[in-house]
Amino acid sequence: MQYTATISRMKAAGAPPRLSGFAQWADRHFKWLLVAPAVLLILALSIYPLLFSLVVSFINYDFQVPGHAFVGLKNFERVVFDPVARWSLLLTAWLSGVSVAIEFVLGLLVALTMVRGFPGRGVIMSILIVPLFISPVIVGQAWTLLLQRPFGPTNYILTQLLGQEVTIGWMTEAPWLYASLIIADVWQWTPFMFVILLAGLTAIPPNLYEAAELDGVNAWQAFWAITLPHLAPMMLLALTFRLLDAIRMFDTIFIMTGGGPGTRTYTASYYLYTVGFTQFHLSQATAGSWLFLVFTALVVTLLVRRLLKAEPV
Amino acid sequence: MAEVRITGLHKRYGAFHAVRGIDLDIRDGEFTVLVGPSGCGKSTLLRTIAGLEESSEGTIEIGGEVVNDFRPRDRDVAMVFQDYALYPHMSVAKNIGFGLKARKMPKPEVEARVAEAARMLGITPLLGRFPRQLSGGQRQRVAIGRAIVRNPRIFLFDEPLSNLDAQLRDEMRGEIKRLHQDIATTMIYVTHDQIEAMTLADRIVLMRDGLIEQQGAPLDLFERPASTFVAGFLGSPRMSFLPGTLKLDGSAAAIRLADTLLPVAPGRTLNGAADGQAVLLGLRPEHLTRAHAAAPAQGIFRYDATIDLLQPTGSRSYATFRLAGAPVMAELQAHDVSRPGERLPIDINMNRASIFDAKSERAI
Ligand SMILES: Nc1ncnc2c1ncn2[C@@H]1O[C@H](COP(=O)(O)OP(=O)(O)OP(=O)(O)O)[C@@H](O)[C@H]1O
Ligand SMILES: [Mg+2]
Repeated sequence: MQYTATISRMKAAGAPPRLSGFAQWADRHFKWLLVAPAVLLILALSIYPLLFSLVVSFINYDFQVPGHAFVGLKNFERVVFDPVARWSLLLTAWLSGVSVAIEFVLGLLVALTMVRGFPGRGVIMSILIVPLFISPVIVGQAWTLLLQRPFGPTNYILTQLLGQEVTIGWMTEAPWLYASLIIADVWQWTPFMFVILLAGLTAIPPNLYEAAELDGVNAWQAFWAITLPHLAPMMLLALTFRLLDAIRMFDTIFIMTGGGPGTRTYTASYYLYTVGFTQFHLSQATAGSWLFLVFTALVVTLLVRRLLKAEPV
Repeated sequence: MAEVRITGLHKRYGAFHAVRGIDLDIRDGEFTVLVGPSGCGKSTLLRTIAGLEESSEGTIEIGGEVVNDFRPRDRDVAMVFQDYALYPHMSVAKNIGFGLKARKMPKPEVEARVAEAARMLGITPLLGRFPRQLSGGQRQRVAIGRAIVRNPRIFLFDEPLSNLDAQLRDEMRGEIKRLHQDIATTMIYVTHDQIEAMTLADRIVLMRDGLIEQQGAPLDLFERPASTFVAGFLGSPRMSFLPGTLKLDGSAAAIRLADTLLPVAPGRTLNGAADGQAVLLGLRPEHLTRAHAAAPAQGIFRYDATIDLLQPTGSRSYATFRLAGAPVMAELQAHDVSRPGERLPIDINMNRASIFDAKSERAI
């Protein structure tokens, strides 16, 4: 309607048709009307819950305690002094750090191998990136089947290989359950590193390596002198993305260990989920989420600042 | 310092035959320029000499030694690339010295050599900078510095000046020439710029479709091109080609262009030419001048031309006119001609003109 009004007014240049009051108003604020639905949606789904959660973290919003009284920093206190919370934060940092480091090294090695052309490269590449398309829940399920006692084949294979009885409780015994979680994560996400690093490697001009070869520079020196400086921004990008994703680690934990035994494999997300949605201490969970957000924001800021500083070559 | 001998060299990329049988002898200390149109195989030939490409057939000898099976690093050659290929995170000094360091040369000697190379190229003040902080010309100097510190037996250049603007290119061309005079090492230089080829080369090797079309001293190629391809490639503006027929009458020969008969310079040998043979007469703009003398000298043909098109360049003007129906360009002094449509007597120097067989396009 407004649009046609605008058009017809343009056509009749100089002789504007008479419009009702509303139509005139709508015509003038046309652009605002266009963005209004999106703005409302964001307000309703992001901004409002965010502000509401801030409020919740300072009042009592516990389904086990009646009333919504203002409680100051009590919710935050509960999280900070909860040993499970501290453990979960530590475990999150540790698990994501180790997983991402392994993924990075493996991804880099695979990318360095795959950057050269060889017969069958396309097929191998397609197979390598398959894990990226699988839902983490399925990945967790699959690794559980492979590792779990007594049905999983892993212990059997290890027994055959080592020649002595292996009875590892992959889902129940520390440190094996951490290994299981890391294995599942590495299996799923190494291809991500590989794809990004391969893209970076492909972009390095081959001339540089040729000049280095003529200079008598060996492969190891060429890696430090050419590959690394060219790849550094891509490496940082891949690490940032992957780390941000890894610290939210939830699905595989949920499927593989359920946080157990006890609270041994609680990650930050899993902890917050349990507190909020199984124990219904909503205000404590909200306060914890805010604290976690602050930690995450710190890490992100550091990484992104480093990323932005990476100089183009 | 070494001579290079290439025998029966072929290079195939799959089914594509990029270099199709090259025989080439390059003397010690000679500056050889490989020139030719894009895609003729110049880079491929150069890279095969460097060992960056494997030859499909034929041998490459450097300093009397067959190097086909040598890795590039063991051939003792240095190469300068069009896009510099510098190490991005190393200072200029490190860039220049890295090859020496990689070959385990003691540090003080590396430093001395880097300083010497930087002095030769006038980049001493830049030694602490990084490649990204340099202009294109400066980067190319660094790349050349990296080549000369190693004191290799042979220098290879693949279009080193193509990324530079015209003025810088002129300047760098001079420097490369001076560099060759100073160190007198064998240099092989690829370009598709005929000015670079003419000014730098001791010898030009003109390539076409993976084969050598003609090789020799620059002036030989320029004055006695073996084919219309060579004649057209060297010289700017291009040589004009006029179709005609050859008239042989005893010892006197002439070329008939439509209604005009141009006598061939006396004493010029016409190898295997036949009477009535279809030929192309090749005239460079500088073979044509405005007539001033009362009577033309020997081998000069005088023609009354009506100027169609005039392209002044300052001191000279390129005037196009029709000679027996075909367009010809003459390079005239600017004051010899004033406007298009003017009628001028033009002297055509048949002593320097080229004659080609019309069918094979080879010189006769
Ligand atoms: N790696 C390759 N695979 C297949 N064909 C190639 C390859 N490298 C070069 N060629 C082909 O070989 C031919 C010669 O290439 P080359 O690079 O030697 O040309 P050039 O004379 O250096 O041309 P330019 O002046 O454009 O640099 C070209 O037709 C090119 O397409
Ligand atoms: Mg080339």
